[in-house]
Amino acid sequence: MELIGLLNYVVYMAIFIGIYCLLALGLNIQWGFSGLFNAGIAGFFAVGAYTSALLTAPESGVHLGGFQLPVVVGWIGAMIAAGAIAWPIGKVCLRFRSDYLAIATIGVAEIIRLVVKSEGWMTGGARGVNKIPRPFGDLSYLYSQLAYLALVLAIVLVVYWAIERQISAPWGRMMRGIRDNEDAATAMGKDIKARRLEAFIFGAAVMGFGGALFAHFNRSITPEAIDPMIATFLVWIMLILGGSGNNRGALLGVAVVWIIWSASEFVTDQFPTEFAIKAKYMRVFIIGLLLQLVLRFRPEGILPEPQGTASSPEVKTTQKQEGAAE
Amino acid sequence: MLKKIALAAGLFSATALASNAVQADVKVGVLGGISGPIAAMAPPMLESAKLAIRQVNEQGGILGGQKLEAVVGDSACNPQNSVDSATKLVNIEQVAGLIGPHCSGSVLAVANSVTVPAGITLITPSGTSPEITGLEDKGQVFRTVPSDDFQGRSLARTLLNLGTKKVAVAYLNNDYGSGLANAFKVEFEATGGEIAGYAAHEEGKASYRSNLAELSRGGADTLVIFDYGDGTGLTILRQALENGFFTNFVGGDGMKSDAIIRELGAENLTTFIASSPVGEASNSLELFNKAYVAIGGNPDAIFAPNSYDAAFLMALALEKAGGKAAKVSEAMAAVSNGQGEAVLPGEWKKAVELIAAGKDINYKGASGDLNFDNAGDVPGSYGLFKVEGDAFALQQALN
Repeated sequence: MELIGLLNYVVYMAIFIGIYCLLALGLNIQWGFSGLFNAGIAGFFAVGAYTSALLTAPESGVHLGGFQLPVVVGWIGAMIAAGAIAWPIGKVCLRFRSDYLAIATIGVAEIIRLVVKSEGWMTGGARGVNKIPRPFGDLSYLYSQLAYLALVLAIVLVVYWAIERQISAPWGRMMRGIRDNEDAATAMGKDIKARRLEAFIFGAAVMGFGGALFAHFNRSITPEAIDPMIATFLVWIMLILGGSGNNRGALLGVAVVWIIWSASEFVTDQFPTEFAIKAKYMRVFIIGLLLQLVLRFRPEGILPEPQGTASSPEVKTTQKQEGAAE
Repeated sequence: MLKKIALAAGLFSATALASNAVQADVKVGVLGGISGPIAAMAPPMLESAKLAIRQVNEQGGILGGQKLEAVVGDSACNPQNSVDSATKLVNIEQVAGLIGPHCSGSVLAVANSVTVPAGITLITPSGTSPEITGLEDKGQVFRTVPSDDFQGRSLARTLLNLGTKKVAVAYLNNDYGSGLANAFKVEFEATGGEIAGYAAHEEGKASYRSNLAELSRGGADTLVIFDYGDGTGLTILRQALENGFFTNFVGGDGMKSDAIIRELGAENLTTFIASSPVGEASNSLELFNKAYVAIGGNPDAIFAPNSYDAAFLMALALEKAGGKAAKVSEAMAAVSNGQGEAVLPGEWKKAVELIAAGKDINYKGASGDLNFDNAGDVPGSYGLFKVEGDAFALQQALN
């Protein structure tokens, strides 16, 4: 019994980490490879979650929908919707540089959150969308979780592979070129605006997918889930700690931060009750402290972006040939 | 050497004792919004839940003298942390039942992805969303707070009966405020009233004068406020009074807060009424208040009685179910269904004896008589309160 309990918990953690990996990978495309400071992850997460939810949920008097489409359609819809929302936002905001872009995206995420909360006819307002189907949801607790984990892992692997391919292709090097030296890239005739927009939309679609997986896992989505603390800044911490510009770093960062966050409660629960409750506030502080320490002593993250691909011509040419051949 | 052996033996026996004690404990999870948006509301709720558990242990313990232990988890009022915390409580701590979580979105997520699949019963003291009623939960989700639907609707009917035909509504934009406001609006309009202004507001702003001016443009002289009286609701009421936007004010249960009388003064609140749950056996509430004040709590804290009831009911259900997690939901429905001998807050010993004798019990809670319906909801009985002297006094019951 105890062992099955432990297994249930581990499987749940893995699912959660998988879902957040998609958010971190999406952010890595935008920030890690393209230098776009997107502080509005929660917004794209929300668009994905709600789109998939509304497409697949049964009819309810509260919100739009009742389409009951297959889950896969919901997921594709989530990616398209998140990408489609990112397009006008990118068009307007990507003209800003770094911190200005961050401010603009925070604003956009807040707008999306307030729209979700206030436009009840569409999203169910504070009541949210419920009875969202969960793939393999009819199985028993453990098997249902295991099946969902397999699904999430497969998706993360596919997305990871797709991004790796894209990044090692000429497109990826161009994006890093734009990130590191915009003037040089312009001089080489690259259309910086359009390229940045591509990266922004690509990343947003991946985040939207993550949102959709989250909504289906919980069979419900409410505005409480798109709190910027848990859906934006936590992802940033994960990526920076893991190593931005490195997809494996992004995955590692998600796992490390979430395991610390979740498992630290076991440690704090060993204290007497009065302290144990106070210690729960401390966990938030510990995550912040961790970020400070990483930024101070290892700003490139645990797994830094691989350097030197540009200076070793052999690697470069083989990659180019691969890219050309494919 | 001898000392060492003695020490080792001592340690060994101590750990053996300790592990025995741990095995003998019955664990329940208490999942609260400790960090996050309701961080200010959570501590009194946790305290009152622990009060119930302390009373159980002081009066002989549960299931033949075992200790009831609360394992506290942090739901942070968002589904991500709630599901994480609930998964730990259910799987690692192996709790027999879950008290909480505090926020509606958390309740939905936790029930869907943890407690219902795992067959654990959940009772929330403050999840008010009407969506919780419709959960496919195999009867395993309960709450000690009425759905927003009940209160909003009965308040609408009562206002119309009192002759108020035209009102403006200002509500806090969260599940509590919008749930109440929506139910109120539907019922008020369906029974012939007119809503002359209907607007949500965000919490924590310094001024709501522009919102109020907009609302008063519809020509209503009564403002209905669904908000918390120790938060934004107080600001709104103060500014509405100062600027004379409206003459009459009606609040939901969140507005029945002593902070309003303290801050605004009873003499300014002659036209203010608030609805709030009332227990028919009102000495239930007195019993709770007395016990709660004795441990240093403030009985006016929002949802403190509900939280106490949730914990006490969970203990009763566990006792009745003989500690078997699978039977708790059935037992929970049975311990407060309006039939059987009345048990009041704190009467644990009496309840245990009755259960042992095979008699039906009916828990009359501090937050009302409860009496679960088929969906695990409580209908709630409400009263309209007005300000008299320096306190709220019951004006009439709501229907």
